[in-house]
Amino acid sequence: MITVKNLHKKFGTLEVLKGIDYHVKQGEKIVVIGPSGSGKSTFLRCLNLLETPSSGEIWFDGQLITDPKTDINKVRQHMGMVFQNFNLFNNLSIMDNITLAPTKLKLMNEEEAKETALSLLKRVNLSDKADAFPSQLSGGQKQRIAIVRSLAMNPKVLLFDEPTSALDPEMVGEVLDVMKELADSGMTMVVVTHEMGFAREVGSKVVFMDEGIIMEENTPEEFFTNPKNPRLQDFLSKVL
Amino acid sequence: MSEWFADVANKFHIAFIEGDRWKLYLEGLGVTLQISIFAAILGVIIGTIVALMKLSTKKNGKRSVLSTIAQIYIDIIRGTPSVLQVLIMWFLIMVQSKNGILVAIMTFGINSGAYVAEIVRAGILAVDYGQTEAGRSLGLSKVQTMWYIVLPQAIKNVLPPIGNEFIVLLKETAIVGYVGLTDLTRVANQVASRTYEAFMPLIGAAVIYFVIIKILTILLEKLERRLHKGDHR
Repeated sequence: MITVKNLHKKFGTLEVLKGIDYHVKQGEKIVVIGPSGSGKSTFLRCLNLLETPSSGEIWFDGQLITDPKTDINKVRQHMGMVFQNFNLFNNLSIMDNITLAPTKLKLMNEEEAKETALSLLKRVNLSDKADAFPSQLSGGQKQRIAIVRSLAMNPKVLLFDEPTSALDPEMVGEVLDVMKELADSGMTMVVVTHEMGFAREVGSKVVFMDEGIIMEENTPEEFFTNPKNPRLQDFLSKVL
Repeated sequence: MSEWFADVANKFHIAFIEGDRWKLYLEGLGVTLQISIFAAILGVIIGTIVALMKLSTKKNGKRSVLSTIAQIYIDIIRGTPSVLQVLIMWFLIMVQSKNGILVAIMTFGINSGAYVAEIVRAGILAVDYGQTEAGRSLGLSKVQTMWYIVLPQAIKNVLPPIGNEFIVLLKETAIVGYVGLTDLTRVANQVASRTYEAFMPLIGAAVIYFVIIKILTILLEKLERRLHKGDHR
Protein backbone atom coordinates (compact mmCIF):
# COMPACT_ATOMS: atom_id res chain seq x y z
CA MET A 1 0.00 0.00 0.00
CA ILE A 2 2.85 2.37 0.87
CA THR A 3 6.30 1.79 -0.57
CA VAL A 4 9.25 3.92 0.43
CA LYS A 5 12.42 3.79 -1.63
CA ASN A 6 15.75 5.24 -0.53
CA LEU A 7 14.15 8.15 1.31
CA HIS A 8 16.48 10.96 2.36
CA LYS A 9 15.58 14.13 4.23
CA LYS A 10 17.89 17.00 5.08
CA PHE A 11 17.13 20.07 7.17
CA GLY A 12 19.84 22.44 6.01
CA THR A 13 23.03 20.47 6.52
CA LEU A 14 21.51 18.10 9.05
CA GLU A 15 20.64 14.79 7.46
CA VAL A 16 17.72 13.35 9.42
CA LEU A 17 16.80 10.44 7.15
CA LYS A 18 19.66 8.60 5.51
CA GLY A 19 18.02 6.22 3.11
CA ILE A 20 14.86 4.47 4.26
CA ASP A 21 13.35 1.58 2.36
CA TYR A 22 10.09 0.19 3.62
CA HIS A 23 6.88 -1.40 2.51
CA VAL A 24 3.54 -1.23 4.31
CA LYS A 25 0.96 -3.79 3.27
CA GLN A 26 -2.78 -3.38 3.43
CA GLY A 27 -4.12 -4.00 6.94
CA GLU A 28 -0.71 -3.96 8.60
CA LYS A 29 -0.13 -2.09 11.82
CA ILE A 30 3.42 -0.81 11.74
CA VAL A 31 4.75 0.53 15.03
CA VAL A 32 7.85 2.70 14.78
CA ILE A 33 9.95 3.19 17.90
CA GLY A 34 13.28 4.77 18.56
CA PRO A 35 15.04 7.42 20.64
CA SER A 36 14.31 11.12 20.14
CA GLY A 37 16.11 12.55 17.16
CA SER A 38 16.13 9.20 15.42
CA GLY A 39 14.05 10.57 12.54
CA LYS A 40 10.94 8.50 13.20
CA SER A 41 8.54 11.48 13.24
CA THR A 42 10.18 12.95 10.15
CA PHE A 43 9.79 9.59 8.42
CA LEU A 44 6.09 9.53 9.27
CA ARG A 45 5.59 13.14 8.17
CA CYS A 46 7.27 12.37 4.85
CA LEU A 47 4.65 9.71 4.14
CA ASN A 48 1.95 12.34 3.55
CA LEU A 49 4.45 14.96 2.44
CA LEU A 50 4.02 17.26 5.43
CA GLU A 51 7.79 17.17 5.07
CA THR A 52 9.10 17.21 1.54
CA PRO A 53 11.71 14.47 1.08
CA SER A 54 15.11 15.62 -0.17
CA SER A 55 15.34 12.56 -2.39
CA GLY A 56 13.81 9.13 -2.78
CA GLU A 57 10.41 7.84 -3.78
CA ILE A 58 7.16 7.27 -1.93
CA TRP A 59 4.43 5.24 -3.60
CA PHE A 60 0.90 5.11 -2.26
CA ASP A 61 -1.71 2.86 -3.83
CA GLY A 62 0.34 2.57 -7.01
CA GLN A 63 0.85 6.30 -7.32
CA LEU A 64 4.22 8.04 -7.03
CA ILE A 65 3.30 10.81 -4.60
CA THR A 66 6.76 12.38 -4.49
CA ASP A 67 6.24 13.32 -8.15
CA PRO A 68 5.68 17.11 -8.18
CA LYS A 69 2.82 16.62 -10.63
CA THR A 70 0.81 14.57 -8.14
CA ASP A 71 -2.11 16.42 -6.55
CA ILE A 72 -1.04 15.90 -2.95
CA ASN A 73 -4.34 17.24 -1.59
CA LYS A 74 -6.14 14.37 -3.30
CA VAL A 75 -3.68 11.84 -1.89
CA ARG A 76 -3.98 13.20 1.64
CA GLN A 77 -7.75 12.67 1.57
CA HIS A 78 -6.95 8.97 1.81
CA MET A 79 -4.20 9.25 4.44
CA GLY A 80 -5.39 10.36 7.84
CA MET A 81 -2.98 11.79 10.36
CA VAL A 82 -3.21 12.10 14.13
CA PHE A 83 -0.82 14.52 15.82
CA GLN A 84 0.89 14.62 19.17
CA ASN A 85 -0.76 17.94 20.00
CA PHE A 86 -4.18 16.94 18.62
CA ASN A 87 -4.42 20.12 16.51
CA LEU A 88 -8.19 20.32 16.66
CA PHE A 89 -9.41 23.48 14.96
CA ASN A 90 -9.86 25.87 17.87
CA ASN A 91 -12.32 28.10 16.05
CA LEU A 92 -14.78 25.31 15.29
CA SER A 93 -17.12 23.15 17.35
CA ILE A 94 -16.39 19.44 17.58
CA MET A 95 -19.07 18.73 14.99
CA ASP A 96 -17.59 21.28 12.59
CA ASN A 97 -14.09 19.97 13.22
CA ILE A 98 -15.24 16.59 11.96
CA THR A 99 -17.45 17.70 9.08
CA LEU A 100 -15.30 20.54 7.69
CA ALA A 101 -13.06 18.51 5.41
CA PRO A 102 -15.66 16.02 4.07
CA THR A 103 -18.09 18.81 3.21
CA LYS A 104 -15.62 21.39 1.85
CA LEU A 105 -13.97 18.73 -0.28
CA LYS A 106 -17.44 17.78 -1.52
CA LEU A 107 -17.15 14.15 -0.46
CA MET A 108 -20.37 14.32 1.52
CA ASN A 109 -23.24 16.74 1.83
CA GLU A 110 -23.90 18.44 5.15
CA GLU A 111 -26.37 15.82 6.33
CA GLU A 112 -24.28 12.79 5.47
CA ALA A 113 -21.28 14.36 7.14
CA LYS A 114 -23.26 15.04 10.30
CA GLU A 115 -24.59 11.51 10.39
CA THR A 116 -21.12 10.07 9.90
CA ALA A 117 -19.76 12.35 12.61
CA LEU A 118 -22.45 11.36 15.08
CA SER A 119 -21.98 7.65 14.55
CA LEU A 120 -18.19 8.03 14.88
CA LEU A 121 -18.61 10.11 18.04
CA LYS A 122 -20.78 7.36 19.44
CA ARG A 123 -18.05 4.86 18.70
CA VAL A 124 -15.62 6.79 20.92
CA ASN A 125 -18.26 7.59 23.54
CA LEU A 126 -18.24 11.34 22.96
CA SER A 127 -21.70 11.88 21.47
CA ASP A 128 -22.48 14.52 24.08
CA LYS A 129 -19.54 16.69 22.97
CA ALA A 130 -20.74 17.45 19.45
CA ASP A 131 -21.48 21.08 20.24
CA ALA A 132 -18.52 21.67 22.55
CA PHE A 133 -15.38 23.55 21.55
CA PRO A 134 -11.89 21.99 21.70
CA SER A 135 -10.88 24.19 24.64
CA GLN A 136 -13.60 22.57 26.74
CA LEU A 137 -12.24 19.04 26.35
CA SER A 138 -9.56 17.05 28.15
CA GLY A 139 -6.47 15.90 26.28
CA GLY A 140 -7.73 12.35 25.94
CA GLN A 141 -11.06 13.56 24.60
CA LYS A 142 -9.32 15.88 22.14
CA GLN A 143 -7.19 13.06 20.80
CA ARG A 144 -10.18 10.78 20.40
CA ILE A 145 -11.93 13.56 18.48
CA ALA A 146 -8.82 14.01 16.35
CA ILE A 147 -8.95 10.33 15.46
CA VAL A 148 -12.64 10.64 14.62
CA ARG A 149 -11.89 13.67 12.46
CA SER A 150 -9.45 11.60 10.41
CA LEU A 151 -11.84 8.66 10.22
CA ALA A 152 -14.62 10.85 8.86
CA MET A 153 -12.59 11.09 5.64
CA ASN A 154 -12.75 7.31 5.36
CA PRO A 155 -8.98 6.99 4.90
CA LYS A 156 -7.13 3.95 3.62
CA VAL A 157 -4.33 4.42 6.11
CA LEU A 158 -3.94 6.30 9.38
CA LEU A 159 -0.64 7.82 10.49
CA PHE A 160 -0.13 8.43 14.22
CA ASP A 161 2.62 10.80 15.34
CA GLU A 162 3.19 10.05 19.04
CA PRO A 163 -0.54 10.24 19.76
CA THR A 164 -0.23 9.71 23.51
CA SER A 165 2.95 11.66 24.29
CA ALA A 166 1.17 14.88 25.25
CA LEU A 167 -1.42 13.20 27.45
CA ASP A 168 -1.74 12.88 31.19
CA PRO A 169 -0.87 9.28 32.12
CA GLU A 170 -4.43 8.47 33.10
CA MET A 171 -5.73 9.50 29.69
CA VAL A 172 -3.34 7.39 27.66
CA GLY A 173 -5.51 4.31 28.09
CA GLU A 174 -8.66 5.74 26.57
CA VAL A 175 -6.79 6.79 23.43
CA LEU A 176 -4.96 3.50 23.09
CA ASP A 177 -8.27 1.66 23.46
CA VAL A 178 -9.67 3.55 20.49
CA MET A 179 -6.53 2.78 18.50
CA LYS A 180 -6.76 -0.90 19.40
CA GLU A 181 -10.35 -1.04 18.31
CA LEU A 182 -9.36 0.61 15.05
CA ALA A 183 -6.60 -1.91 14.55
CA ASP A 184 -9.03 -4.76 15.13
CA SER A 185 -11.36 -3.31 12.52
CA GLY A 186 -8.64 -3.85 9.93
CA MET A 187 -7.39 -0.30 9.46
CA THR A 188 -3.89 0.05 8.03
CA MET A 189 -1.87 2.01 10.57
CA VAL A 190 1.61 3.46 10.94
CA VAL A 191 2.20 4.46 14.54
CA VAL A 192 5.18 6.34 15.96
CA THR A 193 5.03 5.86 19.71
CA HIS A 194 6.84 5.23 22.95
CA GLU A 195 4.11 2.86 24.16
CA MET A 196 5.92 -0.48 24.16
CA GLY A 197 2.85 -2.30 25.44
CA PHE A 198 0.86 -1.08 22.47
CA ALA A 199 3.65 -2.06 20.09
CA ARG A 200 3.76 -5.57 21.48
CA GLU A 201 0.01 -6.05 21.63
CA VAL A 202 -1.23 -4.37 18.46
CA GLY A 203 1.69 -4.14 16.06
CA SER A 204 1.95 -6.57 13.20
CA LYS A 205 5.51 -5.33 12.70
CA VAL A 206 7.73 -3.27 14.94
CA VAL A 207 10.39 -1.03 13.43
CA PHE A 208 13.36 0.38 15.30
CA MET A 209 14.84 3.57 13.92
CA ASP A 210 17.98 5.38 14.98
CA GLU A 211 20.33 7.87 13.32
CA GLY A 212 18.08 8.22 10.31
CA ILE A 213 17.92 4.58 9.27
CA ILE A 214 15.84 1.51 10.07
CA MET A 215 18.06 -0.56 12.33
CA GLU A 216 15.75 -3.50 12.86
CA GLU A 217 12.31 -4.69 11.85
CA ASN A 218 10.52 -7.74 13.11
CA THR A 219 7.31 -9.20 14.49
CA PRO A 220 6.61 -7.89 17.99
CA GLU A 221 7.43 -11.21 19.59
CA GLU A 222 10.86 -11.58 18.01
CA PHE A 223 11.51 -7.85 18.31
CA PHE A 224 11.10 -7.71 22.06
CA THR A 225 12.31 -11.15 23.11
CA ASN A 226 15.16 -11.57 20.67
CA PRO A 227 16.52 -8.19 19.52
CA LYS A 228 19.59 -8.57 17.31
CA ASN A 229 20.91 -5.06 16.80
CA PRO A 230 23.10 -3.97 19.76
CA ARG A 231 21.68 -0.44 19.62
CA LEU A 232 18.17 -1.88 19.95
CA GLN A 233 19.24 -4.17 22.80
CA ASP A 234 20.60 -1.13 24.57
CA PHE A 235 17.43 0.88 23.88
CA LEU A 236 15.12 -1.86 25.09
CA SER A 237 17.13 -2.42 28.25
CA LYS A 238 16.53 1.21 29.13
CA VAL A 239 12.84 1.49 28.32
CA LEU A 240 11.46 -1.86 29.38
CA MET B 1 -19.39 84.10 39.13
CA SER B 2 -22.61 84.62 37.19
CA GLU B 3 -20.69 86.94 34.93
CA TRP B 4 -18.30 84.12 34.11
CA PHE B 5 -21.18 81.81 33.29
CA ALA B 6 -22.73 84.41 31.07
CA ASP B 7 -19.43 84.83 29.29
CA VAL B 8 -19.08 81.10 28.70
CA ALA B 9 -22.67 80.84 27.51
CA ASN B 10 -22.06 83.70 25.11
CA LYS B 11 -18.93 82.11 23.71
CA PHE B 12 -20.76 78.83 23.32
CA HIS B 13 -23.54 80.67 21.52
CA ILE B 14 -21.08 82.29 19.15
CA ALA B 15 -19.19 79.08 18.47
CA PHE B 16 -22.11 76.73 17.93
CA ILE B 17 -25.52 78.44 17.72
CA GLU B 18 -25.07 81.76 15.94
CA GLY B 19 -25.65 81.47 12.19
CA ASP B 20 -26.47 77.80 12.69
CA ARG B 21 -22.78 77.02 13.01
CA TRP B 22 -23.50 73.61 14.56
CA LYS B 23 -24.49 72.50 11.09
CA LEU B 24 -20.92 73.19 9.93
CA TYR B 25 -19.55 70.90 12.65
CA LEU B 26 -22.02 68.22 11.68
CA GLU B 27 -21.02 68.49 8.04
CA GLY B 28 -17.36 68.39 9.03
CA LEU B 29 -17.97 65.36 11.18
CA GLY B 30 -19.77 63.75 8.24
CA VAL B 31 -16.69 64.26 6.05
CA THR B 32 -14.38 62.91 8.76
CA LEU B 33 -16.54 59.83 9.31
CA GLN B 34 -17.04 59.15 5.61
CA ILE B 35 -13.31 59.22 4.96
CA SER B 36 -12.50 57.17 8.08
CA ILE B 37 -15.07 54.44 7.59
CA PHE B 38 -14.42 53.80 3.92
CA ALA B 39 -10.66 54.13 4.34
CA ALA B 40 -10.79 51.62 7.20
CA ILE B 41 -12.70 49.12 5.06
CA LEU B 42 -10.31 49.65 2.15
CA GLY B 43 -7.37 49.37 4.52
CA VAL B 44 -8.52 46.03 5.93
CA ILE B 45 -9.07 44.61 2.43
CA ILE B 46 -5.69 45.83 1.15
CA GLY B 47 -3.98 44.86 4.39
CA THR B 48 -5.27 41.29 4.36
CA ILE B 49 -4.31 40.77 0.73
CA VAL B 50 -0.86 42.29 1.26
CA ALA B 51 -0.32 40.20 4.41
CA LEU B 52 -1.09 37.02 2.45
CA MET B 53 1.19 38.21 -0.36
CA LYS B 54 4.00 38.85 2.08
CA LEU B 55 3.60 35.40 3.64
CA SER B 56 3.58 33.63 0.28
CA THR B 57 6.63 31.56 -0.59
CA LYS B 58 7.98 29.75 -3.59
CA LYS B 59 7.93 25.96 -3.62
CA ASN B 60 11.47 25.83 -2.26
CA GLY B 61 10.48 28.01 0.69
CA LYS B 62 12.20 31.13 -0.63
CA ARG B 63 10.53 34.54 -0.82
CA SER B 64 8.10 34.92 -3.72
CA VAL B 65 7.82 37.83 -6.14
CA LEU B 66 4.47 38.74 -4.57
CA SER B 67 6.14 38.86 -1.17
CA THR B 68 8.79 41.26 -2.45
CA ILE B 69 6.14 43.51 -3.99
CA ALA B 70 4.24 43.53 -0.69
CA GLN B 71 7.39 44.46 1.20
CA ILE B 72 8.15 47.36 -1.18
CA TYR B 73 4.61 48.71 -0.75
CA ILE B 74 4.85 48.50 3.03
CA ASP B 75 8.27 50.16 3.07
CA ILE B 76 7.17 53.07 0.88
CA ILE B 77 3.96 53.77 2.78
CA ARG B 78 5.52 53.49 6.22
CA GLY B 79 8.60 55.40 5.14
CA THR B 80 6.84 58.62 4.14
CA PRO B 81 4.67 61.07 6.12
CA SER B 82 0.95 60.72 5.52
CA VAL B 83 0.62 64.48 4.94
CA LEU B 84 2.97 64.10 2.01
CA GLN B 85 1.02 61.09 0.77
CA VAL B 86 -2.17 63.16 0.77
CA LEU B 87 -0.45 65.99 -1.10
CA ILE B 88 1.14 63.63 -3.64
CA MET B 89 -2.18 61.88 -4.24
CA TRP B 90 -4.03 65.19 -4.58
CA PHE B 91 -1.56 67.16 -6.69
CA LEU B 92 0.27 64.44 -8.64
CA ILE B 93 -1.67 61.21 -8.97
CA MET B 94 -5.41 61.86 -8.83
CA VAL B 95 -5.22 65.38 -10.25
CA GLN B 96 -8.19 64.73 -12.53
CA SER B 97 -10.52 63.79 -9.71
CA LYS B 98 -12.88 66.49 -8.53
CA ASN B 99 -14.07 64.33 -5.67
CA GLY B 100 -11.82 65.26 -2.76
CA ILE B 101 -13.42 62.81 -0.39
CA LEU B 102 -12.76 59.93 -2.77
CA VAL B 103 -9.11 60.96 -3.07
CA ALA B 104 -8.87 61.09 0.72
CA ILE B 105 -10.47 57.66 1.08
CA MET B 106 -8.02 56.20 -1.43
CA THR B 107 -5.03 57.82 0.25
CA PHE B 108 -5.91 56.77 3.77
CA GLY B 109 -7.06 53.31 2.64
CA ILE B 110 -3.74 52.71 0.92
CA ASN B 111 -1.88 54.18 3.89
CA SER B 112 -3.75 52.14 6.48
CA GLY B 113 -3.37 48.99 4.37
CA ALA B 114 0.37 48.93 5.00
CA TYR B 115 -0.06 49.00 8.76
CA VAL B 116 -2.97 46.54 8.71
CA ALA B 117 -0.86 44.19 6.57
CA GLU B 118 1.77 43.90 9.28
CA ILE B 119 -0.90 43.47 11.96
CA VAL B 120 -2.67 40.71 10.01
CA ARG B 121 0.63 39.01 9.19
CA ALA B 122 1.51 38.89 12.88
CA GLY B 123 -1.99 37.57 13.64
CA ILE B 124 -1.62 34.76 11.10
CA LEU B 125 1.85 33.81 12.35
CA ALA B 126 0.50 33.69 15.91
CA VAL B 127 -1.87 30.85 14.96
CA ASP B 128 -0.20 27.54 15.85
CA TYR B 129 1.29 25.94 12.74
CA GLY B 130 -0.25 22.65 13.84
CA GLN B 131 -3.62 24.06 12.78
CA THR B 132 -2.35 24.42 9.23
CA GLU B 133 -0.77 20.98 9.26
CA ALA B 134 -3.99 19.39 10.51
CA GLY B 135 -5.96 21.12 7.77
CA ARG B 136 -3.52 20.11 5.06
CA SER B 137 -3.31 16.52 6.35
CA LEU B 138 -7.06 16.18 5.77
CA GLY B 139 -6.61 17.11 2.13
CA LEU B 140 -7.73 20.74 2.37
CA SER B 141 -5.83 23.05 0.04
CA LYS B 142 -3.60 25.90 1.23
CA VAL B 143 -6.35 28.41 0.46
CA GLN B 144 -9.10 26.40 2.17
CA THR B 145 -6.95 25.91 5.26
CA MET B 146 -6.18 29.62 5.39
CA TRP B 147 -9.80 30.64 4.87
CA TYR B 148 -11.66 28.22 7.15
CA ILE B 149 -9.11 27.62 9.88
CA VAL B 150 -6.24 30.09 10.13
CA LEU B 151 -7.84 33.44 9.22
CA PRO B 152 -10.81 33.09 11.63
CA GLN B 153 -8.34 32.50 14.45
CA ALA B 154 -6.05 35.27 13.24
CA ILE B 155 -8.94 37.77 13.31
CA LYS B 156 -9.36 37.11 17.01
CA ASN B 157 -5.66 37.77 17.54
CA VAL B 158 -5.59 41.02 15.60
CA LEU B 159 -8.71 42.69 16.91
CA PRO B 160 -6.98 44.85 19.55
CA PRO B 161 -4.25 46.21 17.26
CA ILE B 162 -6.72 46.69 14.40
CA GLY B 163 -8.94 48.74 16.72
CA ASN B 164 -5.90 50.80 17.55
CA GLU B 165 -5.23 51.32 13.85
CA PHE B 166 -8.84 52.50 13.29
CA ILE B 167 -8.45 55.04 16.04
CA VAL B 168 -5.19 56.37 14.63
CA LEU B 169 -6.77 56.52 11.19
CA LEU B 170 -9.79 58.48 12.38
CA LYS B 171 -7.62 61.11 13.97
CA GLU B 172 -5.15 61.23 11.13
CA THR B 173 -7.88 62.23 8.68
CA ALA B 174 -7.60 65.67 10.30
CA ILE B 175 -4.82 66.44 7.82
CA VAL B 176 -7.18 66.53 4.82
CA GLY B 177 -7.56 70.22 5.54
CA TYR B 178 -4.21 70.52 3.72
CA VAL B 179 -5.90 69.85 0.42
CA GLY B 180 -9.01 71.94 1.10
CA LEU B 181 -11.44 69.38 2.43
CA THR B 182 -13.69 70.67 5.18
CA ASP B 183 -13.52 68.00 7.85
CA LEU B 184 -14.26 68.45 11.53
CA THR B 185 -10.86 69.89 12.41
CA ARG B 186 -10.96 72.39 9.55
CA VAL B 187 -14.46 73.51 10.53
CA ALA B 188 -13.28 74.20 14.05
CA ASN B 189 -10.34 76.15 12.71
CA GLN B 190 -12.52 78.16 10.33
CA VAL B 191 -15.04 79.04 13.02
CA ALA B 192 -12.21 80.06 15.33
CA SER B 193 -10.71 82.43 12.79
CA ARG B 194 -14.06 83.87 11.79
CA THR B 195 -15.23 84.57 15.34
CA TYR B 196 -11.81 85.49 16.84
CA GLU B 197 -12.67 83.01 19.56
CA ALA B 198 -10.62 79.82 19.52
CA PHE B 199 -11.44 78.10 22.80
CA MET B 200 -14.95 76.79 22.16
CA PRO B 201 -14.58 75.53 18.58
CA LEU B 202 -11.25 73.77 19.23
CA ILE B 203 -12.30 72.18 22.52
CA GLY B 204 -15.70 71.36 20.99
CA ALA B 205 -14.08 69.51 18.08
CA ALA B 206 -11.74 67.70 20.46
CA VAL B 207 -14.70 66.53 22.55
CA ILE B 208 -16.47 65.26 19.44
CA TYR B 209 -13.41 63.23 18.37
CA PHE B 210 -13.09 61.91 21.90
CA VAL B 211 -16.70 60.77 22.12
CA ILE B 212 -16.63 59.08 18.70
CA ILE B 213 -13.46 57.20 19.60
CA LYS B 214 -14.83 56.20 23.00
CA ILE B 215 -17.90 54.74 21.30
CA LEU B 216 -15.68 52.91 18.83
CA THR B 217 -13.60 51.52 21.71
CA ILE B 218 -16.67 50.20 23.49
CA LEU B 219 -17.96 48.55 20.32
CA LEU B 220 -14.61 46.88 19.70
CA GLU B 221 -14.48 45.59 23.26
CA LYS B 222 -17.93 44.09 22.85
CA LEU B 223 -16.92 42.41 19.60
CA GLU B 224 -13.76 41.06 21.19
CA ARG B 225 -15.68 39.58 24.07
CA ARG B 226 -18.11 37.94 21.68
CA LEU B 227 -15.36 36.40 19.56
CA HIS B 228 -13.67 34.97 22.65
CA LYS B 229 -16.85 33.32 23.87
CA GLY B 230 -15.73 29.86 22.71
CA ASP B 231 -12.52 29.99 24.74
CA HIS B 232 -12.44 28.70 28.26
CA ARG B 233 -8.75 28.65 28.89
